Amino acid sequence: MKAITIDFNSFIPAAVANEPIIEPKHKRGKIDATFLVLVLVLLTVGLVMLFSASHAYAFYNEGNSFYFIERQLFFAVVGTVAMIFAAQINHKFIQKWAVLLYIVALGLLLFADIFMRDQYGFARWIYIGSFSFQPSEVAKFAIIVLFAHLAATNAAKMQSFRYGVLPFGIALGMIALLVILSRHLSGTIIIGALGIAMMWFGGTRFRYFAVLIGMGVAFVALIIIFPQFMAYTGDRVQVWLDPYSYYHEGGFQTIQALIAIGSGGIWGAGLGNSRQKYLYIPEPQNDFIFPVVCEELGFIGASIIVILFALLVARGYMIAMRCPDKFGALLAAGCVTHIGLQVILNIAVVTNTIPNTGISLPFFSYGGTALLMTLGEMGIVLAVSKKSSIQKN
Amino acid sequence: MSKSPSAIIKIRIIAACAIALLGFAVLIGRLFYIQVIEAEEYQRQAAETQLEVTEIAANRGAIYDANGNKLAMSTTAWTICVAPNNIKNDAQKELIISELSEILGVSESYLREKCERDTLYAAVKARVDKATVEEVTTFASNNGVSRCIFVEEDVSRKYPYENFAASVIGFVNSDYVGSYGLESYYDDVLSGTPGKLISAQDSWGQKMPFEYDELYSSEDGNSIVTTIDEGIQYFVEKHLELAVKEHDVQKRAACIAMDPNTGKILAMATKGDFDPNSYTTLPDSVKEEIQKLPEDEQGDATLQAQYDMWRNKAISDPYEPGSVFKIITLSAALDSNTTTLGDHFTCVGHANVADRKISCWKTYGHGDQTLAEAVQNSCNPAFIQIGLNMGISNFRNYFEAFGLTEKTNIDLPGEAASIYHTNMTEMNLASSSFGQTFKVTPIQLITAVCAAVNGGYLYEPYIVQKVISADESIVEEYEPTLVRQVISEQTSETVREILETVVSDGSGRTAAVPGYKIGGKTGTSEKLDQLSSEGEVEAYVSSFLAVAPADDPQIVILLLLDEAQMENPFGSVVAAPVVGAMLGDILPYMGIEPNYTEAELEQMTGKVKDVTGQLVHDAMTVLRLQGYSVTIVGEGTTVVAQSPEAKSVLAPGGTITLYTDESLIPKEIEVPDVAGMSVTEVNNAIIGAGLKLKLIGVSESASNQVAYSQTPAAGEKVMPGTIIEVTFTVASEEGGED
Repeated sequence: MKAITIDFNSFIPAAVANEPIIEPKHKRGKIDATFLVLVLVLLTVGLVMLFSASHAYAFYNEGNSFYFIERQLFFAVVGTVAMIFAAQINHKFIQKWAVLLYIVALGLLLFADIFMRDQYGFARWIYIGSFSFQPSEVAKFAIIVLFAHLAATNAAKMQSFRYGVLPFGIALGMIALLVILSRHLSGTIIIGALGIAMMWFGGTRFRYFAVLIGMGVAFVALIIIFPQFMAYTGDRVQVWLDPYSYYHEGGFQTIQALIAIGSGGIWGAGLGNSRQKYLYIPEPQNDFIFPVVCEELGFIGASIIVILFALLVARGYMIAMRCPDKFGALLAAGCVTHIGLQVILNIAVVTNTIPNTGISLPFFSYGGTALLMTLGEMGIVLAVSKKSSIQKN
Repeated sequence: MSKSPSAIIKIRIIAACAIALLGFAVLIGRLFYIQVIEAEEYQRQAAETQLEVTEIAANRGAIYDANGNKLAMSTTAWTICVAPNNIKNDAQKELIISELSEILGVSESYLREKCERDTLYAAVKARVDKATVEEVTTFASNNGVSRCIFVEEDVSRKYPYENFAASVIGFVNSDYVGSYGLESYYDDVLSGTPGKLISAQDSWGQKMPFEYDELYSSEDGNSIVTTIDEGIQYFVEKHLELAVKEHDVQKRAACIAMDPNTGKILAMATKGDFDPNSYTTLPDSVKEEIQKLPEDEQGDATLQAQYDMWRNKAISDPYEPGSVFKIITLSAALDSNTTTLGDHFTCVGHANVADRKISCWKTYGHGDQTLAEAVQNSCNPAFIQIGLNMGISNFRNYFEAFGLTEKTNIDLPGEAASIYHTNMTEMNLASSSFGQTFKVTPIQLITAVCAAVNGGYLYEPYIVQKVISADESIVEEYEPTLVRQVISEQTSETVREILETVVSDGSGRTAAVPGYKIGGKTGTSEKLDQLSSEGEVEAYVSSFLAVAPADDPQIVILLLLDEAQMENPFGSVVAAPVVGAMLGDILPYMGIEPNYTEAELEQMTGKVKDVTGQLVHDAMTVLRLQGYSVTIVGEGTTVVAQSPEAKSVLAPGGTITLYTDESLIPKEIEVPDVAGMSVTEVNNAIIGAGLKLKLIGVSESASNQVAYSQTPAAGEKVMPGTIIEVTFTVASEEGGED
């Protein structure tokens, strides 16, 4: 057998091949303090609320009230370090790895689809010893970076179908297919929406979005025509429309969430005083953490948190807009969009505004990979912000 | 190409930002809708799922007689149970076993067996007290095992006097709701408000580990104090029960004793009745009757028999009052001046009214009578005349004024309404004048008569005089309710005087009590709605109404025996002696001093009359008129022996024992011959015969002593317990046998 050698350099775009990982000091600007503060505030509030929401569940199910908060704290510390590191690097350096990262993401998804399928048919996680992570989280970031790279490289030709749609479609389609195969609806939705958003930012012509919308419709049709493929999806729509009639089919989760949110009233029961977290809300440390927040902090507290997220998103987009280079702008916009999408979809789910999908709330929900990736992406936005501040001056 | 982002990118980012901010705004709007507008609804749902409500029963109030005796009271019993299937793990099990065994004082192995059963529920200890219950509950909720330990509460109602005033008191049903008598009428007062313990529980039903207990303490029910006097009620029931047996009364008997000056019910009884402690238990005789029925009819028959048994005859059964009603006719006639005291009436044994001949009970007639004599004789033709003289409208007005057209409004459930002529003819008037062809309830009649004798004032009868709280403070006090004045004081006095002559000289003589002025009126009503196929009257209600003392009425008693079994169950024969016996007991009990007349003293000869073979109440009447007290021994109805015997000399005021059961008569004993017996032998012979022994001349040192003489002598007949004196001497050696 002749050894197969792969030339990694062939995946690195020539235009950025010489970008250093860290630029010399005179080229670096200051990171955006507002954005950093918003991230840290949300992270802190999120950790406090995770402890409040999870301790009863943790006690009953793990025998240790601190089970979730201990692990989340660890990832929060690691994630914060990662964010600060990411904030230091030259974001164009990331562009170098755009293609390679995408290939790695594809590989991880494929690996999970083939080797990591559990007895229920789900292949969302990759387990390495006691460590586990979701390849879809990697895929989300890969899509952001790859699409930013493609749109920046072909900026002049984005109007055309060949450059403005085709490569994106192929790249997104492959990823989406693998995520669907892992039976991960929410991941697919996020990745699909992220991809479309990146194309939108990149300058794809308006009319092609009509085609994309058509593809979305086809996707929904696929779910309806082959309900056995994702049997629970159809049920979720019914539960969404009338949770009380489908109580035992999953409606109870929605109802208990609504009870928690509603019984919080304007001022809330006070921090730590949620009653619904006492085993009424299934897994209150995960996707349904926000109802506990609403119950304890009331409409006032919940609104403040939503506004903090809104400020974070708005500030992030501002950083993207001020970035002098197109890749950086797209990269930051993508990361911000990712956070915004997750927040809006999560809160929309728990308030039964849209059907139930398993989307976690950034900074709040328990989950190491997600928190790590979120903080990493925030670091990248901060990295981009260094250039934004230079331009401003 | 410039690397800087084009204007298009900026616009598109702004657009995305706008969409995102719109999304956040929508979410805040949605939160506002759920948390502010719909908050109450979700808070209600939250309370429904999170809160566990434990009801704490309120203690039901007691029912007292006028003297403070408890006629009905509540007791609560708790049972501690474990729920083995709810025990989650061994740690919980061990905790429950060790703690409960300590609190309840039961062995751990016993508890372990209970906790390891595969059942929902296992009783651990019954009849624990409230302090223990609280200890157990506190332990359970503090240690998160309240799902594993239950406390069962069993509240029960006790009626310590059993049948006593049962038809008045009523009972609570199995749901602890008052469903008859005072228990039903005053259920709201007695039942109180149950308390609630609201605690937050997680979805596994365990208490959440923070303060969320809200206790709405139970409000105990108030108690009611009745106007019933335990002593009067006792005498009434005693004689009523005996009368029912004496005359084999078929349709039960009722008696009401009322204070004419206030409307207070002093006693109210129906016999046969029931024991409210086991209110569904029918008398054996009724059960046997039901068992003879086809099986599918037995259920309904049992229910019907129970309803009949519970029914308070004194207020629920309208009847034709018969001659007792003549008191009302008399009062109305005198008050309307249509008849005067000086009027004379001639009775030829019948009266002709509108082509119909109405007979007097005395078929050859009473001849010429004064008004008082007509009442004493209870002469129907005379009262027809009195009624006709008064006229329909006068009669109707007084009938209504005496409250006989409406319920008395007594505070008991199930009062029946009267049935009367709304469109009265002369014929109706004639029959109504002597109390036939219409129906009133006993309570209506006695209430009307009270007005006739108390000076003319109609009072509403009532049975509860006070409502008191658990700490005995007065919550509410009921005053007598004067409805109206029906007749003048003058008329009332005349009525009293005439009624007194009924007992002193007329048909009510058997109700007399020496030393007391008693007014009265007999009644023997024909049940006109219950005629035989030949149109003959078959059934009667025998009744008597007494007013005592007649010159200053303190008590009015109405007694009725529905279908006494005898040829002519005249009220004078059947009912009057019973009321007389009641009064003989009640008037001294009420503290009213006797004051004997010359005529009464004349009857007190000091020589006991022979009453053997008589019914008990008849015998009591004879002896009462002689001035004697009577003690009855036995459950029978006929006197089989008396002591002292007939013709014995006994001073008035002495007590005579009447035996109604042969087996209870003390037998005379022949004194055994003990001559020559040793001390031990004498002892055995005398004591064994039911006699007492007194030893004379026994020396402790001598060993060989024999009986020498005895008093009374051998062969004499003596009452049991008589002391036999036996004299001993030392036997000679030769005389000694061996």
